[in-house]
Amino acid sequence: MAFVLWAVATVTFFAIRLIPGDPAEAILGGPGSQASAAALAQARADYGLDQPLFVQYLHYLGRMLRGDLGTSYALKQPVLAVVGENLGGTLLLAVVSLIVAAAIALALAAWSAQGGRVASGVSWLLEVIAAAVPHFWLAISLILLFSTTLGWLPPVSVPGPIGLVLPILTLALPLSGFLAQVMRESILDAIASPFVLAARTRGEGSGGVFWRHALRHAAIPAIGLAGWAFGSLISGAVVVETIFARPGLGRSLLTAVQQRDVPLVLGVVLVVALGYMLVTTLTDLADRLVDPRLRAS
Amino acid sequence: MKRVVSPVVSILAVALVAAGCTAATAPTGTKPVSGGTLVYATGDAEPTCLDPHVGGNYPQALIASQYLESLVSKNTAGEIIPWLATKWSEAPDGLSWDFTLKKDVKFTDGTALTPETIAANVAHVQDPATTSSTGYLALQKVTGVTAPSADVARFTLSTPDSALLDSLSQPWLAIESATALKRSQAVNCESPVGTGPFIVTKWTRQQSVSLVRNDSYSSPPADATHSGPAYLKAIDWRFLPDSASRYAALQAGTVDVIDNVQPDTLVAAKGSADLVTLDAPRPGASNRIELNSSIAPFDDVRVREAFIRSANVNDAVTTLFFGTAKRSYSALSSVEKSGISEPSLFTYDQKAAAKLLDEAGWSTKNADGYRTKNGAVLELSFPVSTNQSIPAEQSLFEQLQATSKQAGFKVDLKPLDLSSWYGALGKNLYNLVSAPYTKVGPDVLRTLFDSAGTKPAPSGYFANHSQVKDPALDALLEKAATLSDAAERLSLYKKAQKIVLEGFYILPLYDQQNHYLHRSVVKGLRAMPTVSTPTMYDSWLSR
Repeated sequence: MAFVLWAVATVTFFAIRLIPGDPAEAILGGPGSQASAAALAQARADYGLDQPLFVQYLHYLGRMLRGDLGTSYALKQPVLAVVGENLGGTLLLAVVSLIVAAAIALALAAWSAQGGRVASGVSWLLEVIAAAVPHFWLAISLILLFSTTLGWLPPVSVPGPIGLVLPILTLALPLSGFLAQVMRESILDAIASPFVLAARTRGEGSGGVFWRHALRHAAIPAIGLAGWAFGSLISGAVVVETIFARPGLGRSLLTAVQQRDVPLVLGVVLVVALGYMLVTTLTDLADRLVDPRLRAS
Repeated sequence: MKRVVSPVVSILAVALVAAGCTAATAPTGTKPVSGGTLVYATGDAEPTCLDPHVGGNYPQALIASQYLESLVSKNTAGEIIPWLATKWSEAPDGLSWDFTLKKDVKFTDGTALTPETIAANVAHVQDPATTSSTGYLALQKVTGVTAPSADVARFTLSTPDSALLDSLSQPWLAIESATALKRSQAVNCESPVGTGPFIVTKWTRQQSVSLVRNDSYSSPPADATHSGPAYLKAIDWRFLPDSASRYAALQAGTVDVIDNVQPDTLVAAKGSADLVTLDAPRPGASNRIELNSSIAPFDDVRVREAFIRSANVNDAVTTLFFGTAKRSYSALSSVEKSGISEPSLFTYDQKAAAKLLDEAGWSTKNADGYRTKNGAVLELSFPVSTNQSIPAEQSLFEQLQATSKQAGFKVDLKPLDLSSWYGALGKNLYNLVSAPYTKVGPDVLRTLFDSAGTKPAPSGYFANHSQVKDPALDALLEKAATLSDAAERLSLYKKAQKIVLEGFYILPLYDQQNHYLHRSVVKGLRAMPTVSTPTMYDSWLSR
């Protein structure tokens, strides 16, 4: 785990310094700040940017080991504080979206697995469309439909749950398409498998077969995808938070990259990497709960 | 990201509005009503500091216009008018200026406006630790401020500065409480203290800034329509980066005013009785394509002219801006009264372009139809800043790429983010570029075309992208900057513009677009004639 974090930090550190742009400019109000030579020299000295890149990297690693992520160049606030302030909003969005996506996927998969050819065809089409739709397009379409035309929901984020509806739908719908595809396959596999036949011969009804056996089977690949889903939700958050004007990590990251705000980019990337690893660990545990075969081994 | 969204958005938005948004007539009163909160949604970047002395960009100017005030302002006729200073005079030698301050003006922290305050502000802008850029450049000739009497602030200069009043009218040189400036920069960035009609109370990052009315306000600029405190009780200043959702929020009534309105949205909004457009082009330079005269092939004036003749700007502006932008033939914004316009220099003429290229030695064509000379292709690198060029402008560049191809130019459009774009400019790796430049007054010509502006700052930044190095032009511009006689100065600026336009250094497109859209319940909203930022002081809500 520490190795992964180190690798992520190292790759990001050098990647952001490879793209054109001077971090000293970020300190002085963004690119093209017309900052004077004296001001730039001062900023470079203050932030240690006048040292060789490798020395800067070592300093950075040293600080990171002490839990100090530095100060944002542009915001002049500690990176930990900025990340802390914005983490909640993004996590809420990601977690609720994941739950909503799983619920939609489950409904679709169940319907298509049990509802015959028409249901299976229609849900297959829905899944493919949902999975293919880009976030920015979906967000704008939802705004046009639910805000501008119908007037049911606010087009930009407002306090309270109502402001969350469109952002969550935007994130959840494409994800539910992916999840439903995977779950349907496993449900169909399960229904056709010998253990379901055995259950039926023991007198289990079709509802019982579905809920107790097939669904459990279907959950396994879906849980396995949760780590990937988390990553996709975070990248989707960049788009969704910008369009719906929600504060969050995605928007912080976008602005930070544009401004070459190195410490903030590194901070956000590290936190997201940490989150990704946590989710992966959790999915391993969840797999064990759902799949008795893993517990035995 | 915003750039990716918008083309799709435009189609959807147009389709939707065509489908019909209901138009209700708002009750229209004529007598201003006090009270209410106005929600302003800005598409400009969120400032990193609310004190425009620090750095100094347009997003800061937009919001600071609500809580900070300058010594002087400008009216729509382009004349300097009183604001925090009631009158001013230049010494005969031009080396000092006396500003008489308005009486009994108090900052919102209770401190008084005195000549010492002005001195502290100038010192703050000039202090390298403040990292001011826009304000710092505008005060380069100012050596200090003294207090010859209790209500007079005297600016002393190293050389006469005819642009001083224009400079001081800009929000980047607004006057803040000297006591507040002594706090740490982080604190002052979050709660700058001015004399303005509103007070910053809370800044929720990535979301909004809350402003409340200054109940003891007494210092409106001379062109305000009322006196005393503002009508609005509060302003909710929200950051809505996406143009489609910003417009949707305005239509839904979630917000009352939006800025950075795109051409398609302007057209869509025209049919709605609920929405009102406010067009306020920014001062300074016109939006233009700059031709880099320092490297081949544009070191040859014939090739520059050939490119300009081969670019069908008019048709592109008409189709892409739907009549919301007027073609410019000037180096200066149409709000600058000293601007001259030379349409005949910029007529679209492919034959003339072909002839000029033949004369310049680019007489052969390769298999792709591009002109060549000694084996080299007539290729032009055009880094495009996706932060500064709106989607319609980026499409315009694509259309110009197509029309200049007919003459044999191979234009390579390179969309870049701001940092990479400055990087390309700093390395002199461009033939064409387009960059907006906002500044009050014709002295912007000196910024953009004086040879001093070709030397990149250590950051790589420079303003003279055409890389004009003409001693005669330098002399004109430097002389004009010191002249106090207005008529004489005007004649020099006109001569200077002629040199620039006739040298085919730039291809003017249109004014720097700056459109606001507001709900019709908002009354009395206007843009300041200085840098075209909106002011809510005279605004009221008729809900």
